[in-house]
Amino acid sequence: MARLQHHTNIALHRGHVVGRRDFLRHVAATGLAAGACNWTDVISASAEELRSRGMACILLWMQGGPSQFETFSPKPKHDHGGETKAISTSVPGIEISEHLPHCAKVMDELAIIRSMTSKEGNHQRASYLLHHGYLPMGGVKFPTLGANVAHQIGDASHQLPSYVRIGGRLPNGGNGGFLGVEYDPLVLNSAERMPQNTKPRTGLDRYHRRLELLDSIQTEFAASVGTQVVSDHRKLTDRAAEMILSPSMKAFDLEQEPQKVREEYGSGNFASGCQMARRLIEHGVTFVEVVSNGWDTHQDVFERTKDLTAQIDQPMATLITDLKRRGMLDRTLVVWMGEFGRTPRINPRAGRDHYPKAFNAVLAGGGVQGGQVIGSTNYAGTEVDERPVTVNDLFRTIYHTLDIDPDHENVSKIGRPIKLVDGGEVVEELFV
Amino acid sequence: MALTFRSSTAACLVAFLLLVGISSGIAAPSISGVAKRVDVAITSEVFDESTELAPRCDDETFLRRAYLDIVGDIPTPEAAVAFLLDPAADKRARLVQELLDEPHYGQNWARYWRDVVFYRAQEPRARIAVNAMVVDLAQQLNENVGWDQIASEFITARGDVREDGHTAIVMAQDGRTEETTAEMSRIFLGIQIQCAQCHDHPYDRWKREQFHELAAFFPRIGVRQVREVTKRSFEVYASDRYSQRQRKQNNDRRPTAEHRMPDLNHPELPGAVMKPKFFLTSASLPLALRDDERREQLAEWLTENEWFSIAIVNRMWAELVGEPFYPAIDDIGPDREPTAPTAMKLLAKKFAEGGHDIKWLVATICQTDAYQREARPRRGPTGTSFAANVPQRLRSDQLYNALLTAMGGEEQGSNARGYRGANRGSARPRDAFDELFGYDPSEPREGISATIPQSLALMNGSEVHSYLNPAKQTLLRKLTREIDNNEALIVELYLRCFNREPSDDELARATAYCYEVSKRTEAFEDLLWVLVNSAEFQHRR
Repeated sequence: MARLQHHTNIALHRGHVVGRRDFLRHVAATGLAAGACNWTDVISASAEELRSRGMACILLWMQGGPSQFETFSPKPKHDHGGETKAISTSVPGIEISEHLPHCAKVMDELAIIRSMTSKEGNHQRASYLLHHGYLPMGGVKFPTLGANVAHQIGDASHQLPSYVRIGGRLPNGGNGGFLGVEYDPLVLNSAERMPQNTKPRTGLDRYHRRLELLDSIQTEFAASVGTQVVSDHRKLTDRAAEMILSPSMKAFDLEQEPQKVREEYGSGNFASGCQMARRLIEHGVTFVEVVSNGWDTHQDVFERTKDLTAQIDQPMATLITDLKRRGMLDRTLVVWMGEFGRTPRINPRAGRDHYPKAFNAVLAGGGVQGGQVIGSTNYAGTEVDERPVTVNDLFRTIYHTLDIDPDHENVSKIGRPIKLVDGGEVVEELFV
Repeated sequence: MALTFRSSTAACLVAFLLLVGISSGIAAPSISGVAKRVDVAITSEVFDESTELAPRCDDETFLRRAYLDIVGDIPTPEAAVAFLLDPAADKRARLVQELLDEPHYGQNWARYWRDVVFYRAQEPRARIAVNAMVVDLAQQLNENVGWDQIASEFITARGDVREDGHTAIVMAQDGRTEETTAEMSRIFLGIQIQCAQCHDHPYDRWKREQFHELAAFFPRIGVRQVREVTKRSFEVYASDRYSQRQRKQNNDRRPTAEHRMPDLNHPELPGAVMKPKFFLTSASLPLALRDDERREQLAEWLTENEWFSIAIVNRMWAELVGEPFYPAIDDIGPDREPTAPTAMKLLAKKFAEGGHDIKWLVATICQTDAYQREARPRRGPTGTSFAANVPQRLRSDQLYNALLTAMGGEEQGSNARGYRGANRGSARPRDAFDELFGYDPSEPREGISATIPQSLALMNGSEVHSYLNPAKQTLLRKLTREIDNNEALIVELYLRCFNREPSDDELARATAYCYEVSKRTEAFEDLLWVLVNSAEFQHRR
């Protein structure tokens, strides 16, 4: 049903026939005949999508648990702060780590939450929690944040998938869950290369010739098992072929960025990922996740975090300014976070261990008021002493920012209603 | 096309009466006898006079269906021709028996269970246990070890996860008491009691205590790393030594003496000590027993319970006929309404009486009219259950095997017994394929849809391309050279891919295509590409 609408929307939104085949004709013949939907359904579904169109989200995911002390909550006056110094930012009174000089310059766009708090100090469970807003529960396959967003506000008429994850398979990062594999992220290992298998093995004429032959031989199977299976299959084939032959594929091609912009983002996988994220959003993708690995710094936290922040600082800051100058920041929420923070106490190996009790998340764009800090920890950084924000609060806030009803109930495959977020409150200060 | 209710019932009844006569006095449940009784029960419980039953499928369809369902592969053209020309009336039942005797039967279903277990794994490193599970379970299934015995070994397992495949469920749940409990119940009883973990079950009778009483069979299990010079692995272990720690947190992989149920109002307190108690029968054990005493007792109580048999019958029926008796494969129980309860209970009862014999169960289901009907699209909410078989997308291993068989591929890592991909090894093409095409088989199948990367892999990927590459010594190249006649070659390719001959119309279209494309080799590369990229190839009907 969802897929059928999806493809019907292709036809309706564009008002003309796409590619070499007449989608409209197929849907009319198969969808209506199968009683899957009628035209009123299709048109109202399509109007609903049009209304909620426009918002997008980029999640910058720091896998391993980034140290708050070395990023957005330096504590240079306390032993727990270690050797990391604080620097002033474009907003008087707000200081962040010396390792984030580029982010400091765009502080007026950033809202730092210094009072994130949870109880999960295990990587797997915490990564799951910070991706789903739920802890894993045997038997229920929760959809991940990106899948829920794609499901709620994804632009189904688009030639590219609504949800793309850059940076490889992310254990516990989740997928479409019970919403179905159509909301799984299109996973790219790296933004430095184009997605896999997108180049036809033959010349374009022959490729089309093959696709036409494929169309013409499927009638037998359609007649014997029913048209739905075949029409679903051919829609997918069409969608895949449409994607790889579409002009939007250039969204994946960073070679097309001006050299000057590439330099602004800096070098490395994360920089390429951020740049591709912006290109994908520009081309109509709704949710892009860019993963940075290696933040689990049990040893040598200062040296290693310096390395890691060097990889993300310039790309993240450039992403925000780039979105802004293109007029996209107001409708694109950028979220920076990992699964937890790190211990205030520095361990004997000059590292920091897992600390879910107090950690950071950063939001920018999408209508979020930048230039502010929400909540705080005590002098030693051991406790949240003001305005604790739970994972559920954060998820509720993210959905709210994207104009998605956080209380929307999905029905799991076995008929259980499951809210996008169970409880929590919107962090209202972000929108004043 | 469809037979009416009246005529099929009459046919059933006649056959039924005959078979009852033949099978009376035989102790082991008769396959055809039980199959008939199941069909009769379904007819009276589900169908009415207006039900349009799909007709019995033809031999081509049955052949491909049985191959994919039992051995996870498609038949070779030779096997297809031999079967289709066989005039024997009992050839379908014989084929099923022959396929159940193939080593690929065990391998196919061991891979299925691998997916059941590992798609719910709590963490990726549990994958280390995959190979041992598939090897051990394949062997047991081939030897037709009873399902009760197999389940008991999973429930009571301990040892190195790379050596004892039965450690897989505990390993997949990282040795955590509550998660392991939930999975044992879901997989072997089909009952999702874990919803009662935090609160009384919203839709079922289960209380919070009952979940934690079941968990009390598993507090002393754990998972730890094995560190030896030559290998790195994990070990499922149990400890009966007194533990200082009062309560094992849910994310704790170490054993503890007794399970405690957290106090919801005072989560900081250790919670109440729970006595091991089996929620379906209320049979219980005292505290302080050793781990082996607890788990062995649970294995016995669980496998002799009727829900144990119902769960596997419900699951196998769903896989073979296309729709479970209950609304879900693994969310059943006394508060759920099955379709055709008499048929379901009969199968479960006979399955248990026959020693929890899985091969018997598969053979019996394959013998039913319900299984042998033509496939029709999955019914909507108002459609009638079991009036037709249901076309299913191939699971990743089925699809991969089918590609190799159709296109003449040899998998690297095949071993002497003909197991495909039996060897360990990193980065095998099959693994990449599994990663892309795999899905959790416990999920309702209507929710499993194909993805764009899957389409792209088949259209443009290197695997398919390697069998079409004119620069290589491919099977296609050999066939194109050996078979001069275009029509004969078209028939050969249809037989290889779809296990049937093309219709006149299909033959005409393909012939016309060969005529239009002046280069013959190119035309047949295109045709083979098209066949494997079609819905028919990627489905079992």
